[in-house]
Amino acid sequence: MNKEAGQHARPSRRRWRGAAVAAAAVLLVGGGYATANAATAKGASTKPAAARPQVRGTGVAAVVNAANAFLATLSDDQKAQVLLDFSQANATNWSNLPEGIVTRVGIQLGTLDDEQLAAAKAVVKAATGTGKGTGFDQVTQILKADDILAAAEAGSTSSATADPSVTATADPTDSATAEPTDTATADPSASASDAPTGTPPSGGPGGGGGLNYGSGIYFLSFLGTPSLTGTWQLHFGGHHLALNITFKDGKVTGSTPFFIGVEPTSFTTDGTTYQPLSAQRDGMLKLLGSLTTAQQATAKLTESFGDVLLGPGQDGQFPTTKEGIAVSQLSPAQKKLVLAAMRPWVSMVDNATTRMLLTTYEKQLNQTFVAFSGGTGLDTQGDYVRIDGPGVWIEFICQNGIVFQSQIHFHTVYRDHTRDYGGEFTF
Amino acid sequence: MRTPLISLCRMLAGIAVAVPAALLSGAPPAAAHPMPHSVVLLDVHETAVAAHLELPVDELRRASGIDLRTIAATDIPADALRTYLTAHIRPTTTNGQPWTVTIGDLSLSQNQQTATGPYQELLAQAVLTPPAGADVRNFTFGYDVIIHQVVTHIALVSVRQDWAAGRIGEGGDSAEQVGTIRIDTRTMTVPPLRVDLGTGSAWRGFLAMVRLGGTHILTGTDHLLFLLILLLPAPLLAIRGRWREPAGARTALTRIGRTTLAFTAGHSIALALSSFGRLDIPSWPVEAFIAASILVGAVHAIRPLFPGREAAVAGLFGLGHGLAFSFVLAEMQLSTGRLALSLLGFNLGIELVQILLVALALPPLLVIARLRAGPRLRVAGALLTGTAATGWLADRLGLPNPIARIADSAGEHTTPMVAGLAVTATLAIAWTLVNRRTRPTLEILSKEGCQRPATSKSITITVPGH
Repeated sequence: MNKEAGQHARPSRRRWRGAAVAAAAVLLVGGGYATANAATAKGASTKPAAARPQVRGTGVAAVVNAANAFLATLSDDQKAQVLLDFSQANATNWSNLPEGIVTRVGIQLGTLDDEQLAAAKAVVKAATGTGKGTGFDQVTQILKADDILAAAEAGSTSSATADPSVTATADPTDSATAEPTDTATADPSASASDAPTGTPPSGGPGGGGGLNYGSGIYFLSFLGTPSLTGTWQLHFGGHHLALNITFKDGKVTGSTPFFIGVEPTSFTTDGTTYQPLSAQRDGMLKLLGSLTTAQQATAKLTESFGDVLLGPGQDGQFPTTKEGIAVSQLSPAQKKLVLAAMRPWVSMVDNATTRMLLTTYEKQLNQTFVAFSGGTGLDTQGDYVRIDGPGVWIEFICQNGIVFQSQIHFHTVYRDHTRDYGGEFTF
Repeated sequence: MRTPLISLCRMLAGIAVAVPAALLSGAPPAAAHPMPHSVVLLDVHETAVAAHLELPVDELRRASGIDLRTIAATDIPADALRTYLTAHIRPTTTNGQPWTVTIGDLSLSQNQQTATGPYQELLAQAVLTPPAGADVRNFTFGYDVIIHQVVTHIALVSVRQDWAAGRIGEGGDSAEQVGTIRIDTRTMTVPPLRVDLGTGSAWRGFLAMVRLGGTHILTGTDHLLFLLILLLPAPLLAIRGRWREPAGARTALTRIGRTTLAFTAGHSIALALSSFGRLDIPSWPVEAFIAASILVGAVHAIRPLFPGREAAVAGLFGLGHGLAFSFVLAEMQLSTGRLALSLLGFNLGIELVQILLVALALPPLLVIARLRAGPRLRVAGALLTGTAATGWLADRLGLPNPIARIADSAGEHTTPMVAGLAVTATLAIAWTLVNRRTRPTLEILSKEGCQRPATSKSITITVPGH
């Protein structure tokens, strides 16, 4: 029946059909062409921007601008992941542990496209310091270290032949670059999307046992709305990194708690050797090395440490009694070393805030204490050093390696007795 | 109105649907810390608490000065360790009266926690006894092993077994964390952990044992397999050394009932005797005996070895199965009073599940006996069971093999197993119903109670679809 009808109407229908097909074809091809054109044009214009995002303003204004620019690249669903309440629960939701043991709030870098990722990094860059080996540079290196861990874990599970000493060099001077570095240097964003986000069963030969590593498994969120008038917090972190910068009325009111750790402590990627925490370790080494035998005896703690004392979840739990040697008993030169030792941690925020904090800590030096446990070499499991003042609280500890078990790795935390989370919460 | 068999089967089909759903349960997530932490597992008994400690050797060395890192298992400095541990495990009553602490076995083991990598640990058994009249379920747990020195160390305290609270530490029960012992960084002191386990009751312990009995038989493939393989030829008549035609439904039911009952009596007696006698029987001969019993059952299902005496055989072999059940109870180290209640509950749980499963198996057993393919199905089932039994037997006699492994792992899949049985039962009932409608003769036959058994031939011809 249909066929008959079709035969009757054939001449006129055919013409119309032909026209329709032609029109559709033009639309499709043309639309596709236009879209492709737009995509390449967009790609061409954003690529350089991705490398060097434009951020207007300086200080907190720059952070707010970068934050808004980042938000503008996101879908509504993504925005909902980034923009969270400035609640105590959200603010204290950070950890040094790899994702898989703990779950973080915020949007995962590995889920972002190139443009969004560049914008996200621009926010962190605007908020953190510009120093070499500190601030944003250091953040970048911690993320690179996690890619080394991811590669080592992948190698050890797939072929079981990965030799940790090849990619991670305990001694930076003989960092012979072997092939495995190539796998480790994979584009961070690429390995990020490859990184599994589930929790595989533990017990793999890698030693880490079913943990998730990689520069894509870092999370960014804004607690409260980024602005120059209200209170809000920049919350960025993942394994071995937790940045909590609190802003109020256009000023930084807290750059802590700040957790930074690294494994491996030294590694080579693309022919460059990184030691992300060398500034931290060197400052502490110089300070400890300056202590006389008598001073060491006073500074040495009787207790032992396996990790930092005030890690995640220990907010506000500062010991009521300061231990170790009072900085007031140290020579002027040694006092300078104490201040210099703090600097790499304090420099994780814009330069103006860093200067303000260092001035404060300098004034408080005579009420500040330095203590250590284990050895003073900061190269053996259990070597621990702490600076505890009315404001500043810094801990540095050497722990056994998790992925590279023949080496130690570092955990450190910087807190402030009154300025953690901008002093917005009581614990 | 309907045959009693069919209405019984209908009821059981309903139960069968409910059971797999009830068997599904999830596992709780494990706690984690990047540095190995200590684990304290408490078994709460009637008059004392047994503590099982897992202490990372490296942290223990830093805290106690006792270095176990390179020591042989036989050279553990037991006295030094016991002195150290008793100094740092100090439970008291809520009024501050000290409990007595005795450190028992010490051994070394290898462990790995999330994000720690492998490490060595010391396992220590301690018995914590309250002063006379003090509450064993409510105390202050003073504990700072390792933590007194390694101030970042953490001890996770969990209750593994608490009979009176219905936690029996068996059958998929995971330990419940009651607290974390760590330093209070403000004061740099280690506060004791208040342990309050609430009031326990014998009823909760009893119910938990019923549950344990049910799970035990359901996951212990070997016990069920033995019973089912004995029941497989029950609806058949043995004539001249061969299984021939189906016996009447009543005969079949009587046989199945008697065999099940005899098995129950056998394992109950053995379970009671060995538990109350606190017999310390090595497990491998018992396990081997069970495997052999299944093998005998499988042969009997192919060629009648002891026709008509299945009940006696089930009772005899049941004794062996009962001994195996008693291992579960022995592990729990219960007081005599609790043991009696546990025995009752455990056995009740076994019987309940056993009745349910036999009831589910009943329709297929009866139908298979009437199918043309019946003999082939029976022999196939017997061969499969015989293979599993042979694998088990070899395994229990010291020859681990893949067959035993596969057969054992079948017990982990209780839900599909029960579901499969339920589906088969439903199909068997449907088959019977369809037959009843298409062929009134069958109904007449079953109404007559099958005084004279119908030949398998006459029935199978009428339902070519099956």
